[in-house]
Amino acid sequence: MTELTKSTSVAGDATAPAKGANAEAEPAIARVTQWGEIRHRFLANKLAVVGLGLVLLLFLTALFAPLLAPHDPYAQDLTNTLQDPGSGHLLGTDALGRDQLSRIIYGTRIAVVIGLASIFLACLIGIVIGALAGYFGRATDSVLMRIADVFFAFPLLIGAIVIIIVMGRGIMPVIISLAIFSWPTVSRLLRSSILSVREADYVLAARALGADTRRIIVRHIIPNSIAAVMAYAAFSVGGAIVAEASLSFLGVGVSPEVPEWGNMLAAAKDFMGVKDFLWTYPSIAIVLTVLGFVFVGDGLRDALDPKLR
Amino acid sequence: MRGATSAKWVVGAVIVAMAATACGGGDDSKDSAGKGGGTFRLGITEPTAIDPYNAQESEGALVAHNLFTGLYSATPDGKLKPELAEAVQTSDDGKTWTFKIKSGTKFSNGEVVDAEAFIRGWTRVVAKESASDVAYPFDGINGYKELNGGTATPFAGLSAPDANTLKVELSAADFEFDKKTVHQAFSPVPKAAGPASNKAYNDAPIGNGPFKMEGSWQHNKSITLVRNDDYGFEKAKLDKVEISILNAANGATLEYQGFQSGQFDWARMPTPQQSVAKAKYEPKKQWVEADTSGINYLVAFNETAPLNNPDARKAISYAIDRDAIAKGVFQGLQKPATSILPPSFADTYQDGVCTSCVKQDKDKAKEYAAKGGLKPGTVLDFGYNTGGGHEEWVQAVAQQLKDVLGLEVKLNGKPFKEALAQQQTKGTSGLWRSAWGADYPTPDNFLFPLLDSGSINPDESGKALGDNRGRYNNPKFDELITQARGTKDPAARAKLYQEAEKLAVDTEQAVIPLWKRTQYRLAATDKFTNVKMDFFEDPNLAEIAAK
Amino acid sequence: MGRYVIRRLGQMVVVLFGATVILFCCLFVLPGDPVGSLGGDKARDPAVVEQLRERYGLNDPLPVQYGNFVKNLAQGDLGEDYTQRRPVTEVLGPKLVNTAQLALAAIVLDIAIGLLAGLIAALFRYSFWDVLITLLTTMAVGFPSFVIGMVLQKVFVIQLEWVPLISDGTMKSLILPAFTLAILDAALVARLMRGTMLEVLRADYVKTAVAKGLPRRTVLLKHVMRNSIIPVVTYLGISFGSLLGGALITEAIFNWDGIGLALVQAVQQQNNPIIIGVVSFGVGVFVLLNLIVDLLYAVLDPRIRLA
Repeated sequence: MTELTKSTSVAGDATAPAKGANAEAEPAIARVTQWGEIRHRFLANKLAVVGLGLVLLLFLTALFAPLLAPHDPYAQDLTNTLQDPGSGHLLGTDALGRDQLSRIIYGTRIAVVIGLASIFLACLIGIVIGALAGYFGRATDSVLMRIADVFFAFPLLIGAIVIIIVMGRGIMPVIISLAIFSWPTVSRLLRSSILSVREADYVLAARALGADTRRIIVRHIIPNSIAAVMAYAAFSVGGAIVAEASLSFLGVGVSPEVPEWGNMLAAAKDFMGVKDFLWTYPSIAIVLTVLGFVFVGDGLRDALDPKLR
Repeated sequence: MRGATSAKWVVGAVIVAMAATACGGGDDSKDSAGKGGGTFRLGITEPTAIDPYNAQESEGALVAHNLFTGLYSATPDGKLKPELAEAVQTSDDGKTWTFKIKSGTKFSNGEVVDAEAFIRGWTRVVAKESASDVAYPFDGINGYKELNGGTATPFAGLSAPDANTLKVELSAADFEFDKKTVHQAFSPVPKAAGPASNKAYNDAPIGNGPFKMEGSWQHNKSITLVRNDDYGFEKAKLDKVEISILNAANGATLEYQGFQSGQFDWARMPTPQQSVAKAKYEPKKQWVEADTSGINYLVAFNETAPLNNPDARKAISYAIDRDAIAKGVFQGLQKPATSILPPSFADTYQDGVCTSCVKQDKDKAKEYAAKGGLKPGTVLDFGYNTGGGHEEWVQAVAQQLKDVLGLEVKLNGKPFKEALAQQQTKGTSGLWRSAWGADYPTPDNFLFPLLDSGSINPDESGKALGDNRGRYNNPKFDELITQARGTKDPAARAKLYQEAEKLAVDTEQAVIPLWKRTQYRLAATDKFTNVKMDFFEDPNLAEIAAK
Repeated sequence: MGRYVIRRLGQMVVVLFGATVILFCCLFVLPGDPVGSLGGDKARDPAVVEQLRERYGLNDPLPVQYGNFVKNLAQGDLGEDYTQRRPVTEVLGPKLVNTAQLALAAIVLDIAIGLLAGLIAALFRYSFWDVLITLLTTMAVGFPSFVIGMVLQKVFVIQLEWVPLISDGTMKSLILPAFTLAILDAALVARLMRGTMLEVLRADYVKTAVAKGLPRRTVLLKHVMRNSIIPVVTYLGISFGSLLGGALITEAIFNWDGIGLALVQAVQQQNNPIIIGVVSFGVGVFVLLNLIVDLLYAVLDPRIRLA
């Protein structure tokens, strides 16, 4: 998991405890803030705005891929394989004569779909389990958090590989396998927020006014904790895209004919030193995408918790 | 079988097949004697075993063949060369073989090599406790079932009438049994070997070959061989062979890099780098090229729709443009195959026996598709194993099938074991990419395992446990194979094998040949003379000499 | 404290149990017979398959297989691998040493680069160096390890030929993979260091220390550094834990003969004993280091009480 869990877990490096640090030893974090103020602070952050631009660009490219791509990304031309970048094909052709630029453009679709869907799924599972654990506490909390620990301690890539082999290759298996091993961070984040917010002044005040616990959780605690989850989520989409590309790179991601960046890199790595353009352009696409989400995630976090900048 | 071995498939070298015309490479003419001595260095991936009881892929064969000398060896072009077998007699029914073994040769620990040493070695491979993967070539010998099944300990079919005579009794006629003995599993072993579970011997086998081990096998690091000065035949010239063990994930790349930086004297290259390497090293005469005894082909599942009739299978074969893929995807470094038997078997090779393989013919493809019920839109499963570098060309084939026949091709990449499980399952349909390499130089080693109904070997659930996973089943073909095995005259026998091949591969298109197995190596011919690729695709260490 | 440790150890066992059970279930439902063939296209002789299935207890029901695994594990026996039939501990031992070397080198780089960069950024807040470091560390997070690895390989191995592609066991061949692994962590350490240091610099006790006239160096070393380093130690400890579990991609790119690479290959070959060995080890080390880090946390920061 090494390379990957790190990138997905670091979201919490300031908002949340570093991964693995046990809840008992965690300081409180999320605070009540006005959304307008958050937006203002976010937009004042140059990197965050750049990130937002990159992410928007990614979404637009994915949406309008058929209009933007100069060629059919699946069309092979065996008489025109491994062409250097040039006039006919701006970024060259691969070993089957397919247009690289078109494949990179269509690759945005897989990245967006898998990145968003897997993190959305992870957040869904994580929020439910985290809220349950935080709400019920005691035995429920222990059981749920041990389950979270199990999935958390599992190496992400290997867990994902095993699940994909069981389910077969494809987009859905990749999404599910990534989500299964990403949710524990979310539930820990939410749970610890709930635990800390539980003792916050405004909650104590609500309680003093006679509000029941469930109402406190739903109306006060979750909305205030969710901010941390959102910052994490934005950040993690980048991590999920990297993880998805890594799976393809290792030959277990989506099917190889699908225009996907990790697939392109996997096919290109043996051409290192001979046809370097085959791996440099998809790499650039991945880096820009991940950076976009990282900047947005960072910006969100800082906007939510400005005291550290 | 070494065609698509563990070591190779991980590497990413596209396994695309063929046979030995052993060209290129060594500048053998002038000073092939060399001055002797020297250390030859090469890299291989970690073998499964080097002990002949379980040595299997070409890496293991490389070490075992240099540590042991058996009855016969194979020349690069698949001819039999007598080693310890001084004379041989075959009974008229083809069931009894008597080998006269050269007397006076020794193992490197001083034990004599006699008939008992062979019986010991062969028994050790077949014994149940050994669970050897290379016991199958012995299955024609009387008593194999009992020994392998654990119900009897001596190998009933083997006997030694005197110290230097080995008598082998077979359960059915086989006039090519001698050819099987080139496999390293048929090596003699000394008493010191003990059972197959003897770990010390597994890692430092004592043999009677041109080289002996220096120290033990350092797993994942190295194996070092030194010349055996007591060798019973012409001694090796090299002092030493240093074999580095490389990571299987990237073996070919590492070998190539090692050669370029002068660390290795022999190397494979990753497929994408081959054309560049060829341009650089061929002018220096450091390029070794051979069509070896293997084949790349597509298994067609003969029992299940849509490929359950010869016309549908011919349509597939005609629709594939082998030339375009060879040029476009393989950069001209692979050659289309038109037969299932490799050209290295000169006696039986029939160029163009698979009529549909010779050239892409879209009209014929459509014509046969119509006849065979392969309508446009038909779903065709096309499986391949991942991690073998097959991703690219299978996509090209799939595209051609879509374009020409309008089929809906479903590519299905799986890791090896799941791939195998799916091929074995009853009811699997469509195509599966496969490769086959010869264990020993006989056509039977292709035709019987791949096409004979005796090699389907279904279990109760209908899983095909044998190598005929396409489940081609034709009594007429089986009859031809049995007949060929029982035919003493080599020319008549070859004819029967040819007839069988034509029936299965042309008339009925049971399988779809794709590419020959062409192998490329780099060899440091500036430092060594007489460097060649042997039958097992390894360097001929025993004959190489330093310049 | 003692009771806390015991409880945490108990939790550790639960996690290990859960992880291995999940792994066993997954491996069990995988299609394909793990001893059905070797790498090649040739099927194994059914008789041999049966012998091997018996030898490895593959015909037993899943709970029995799992029970045997636990029993053997208790004796430090991870079984025999399916290809070479050597003890898993013997196969993985040298690979673990390689992985540990790599992990150690990466951590050293993390500390050296990360701490220094974070320190500079915090001390000279909003200076050119701070902006540069912040920018670089933010960027670093966006580079997946396979991209970093391929770029480094292209530049230093193929272009400049400074480093051999084949690891020759020297420090030189360790540099690139260690660097690939370290870049991300170092960036995160720097960010963490900067963040916590800024927080500590604002703390009352630091202001007091400065106000009462302690030399700047003393304040920095005794108060600021000591208190800022806590989260960094936490992070590094856990990071080391996951590095020890094997860096799959980095080891694959640099052909580093570690347990991560072994794992990738074992998955391809369904060499289950190796998969189980590496994953159990990885999970175990990860959980253990978590515990150690939490304990260390308490030692470094007396305000934290473990209960």
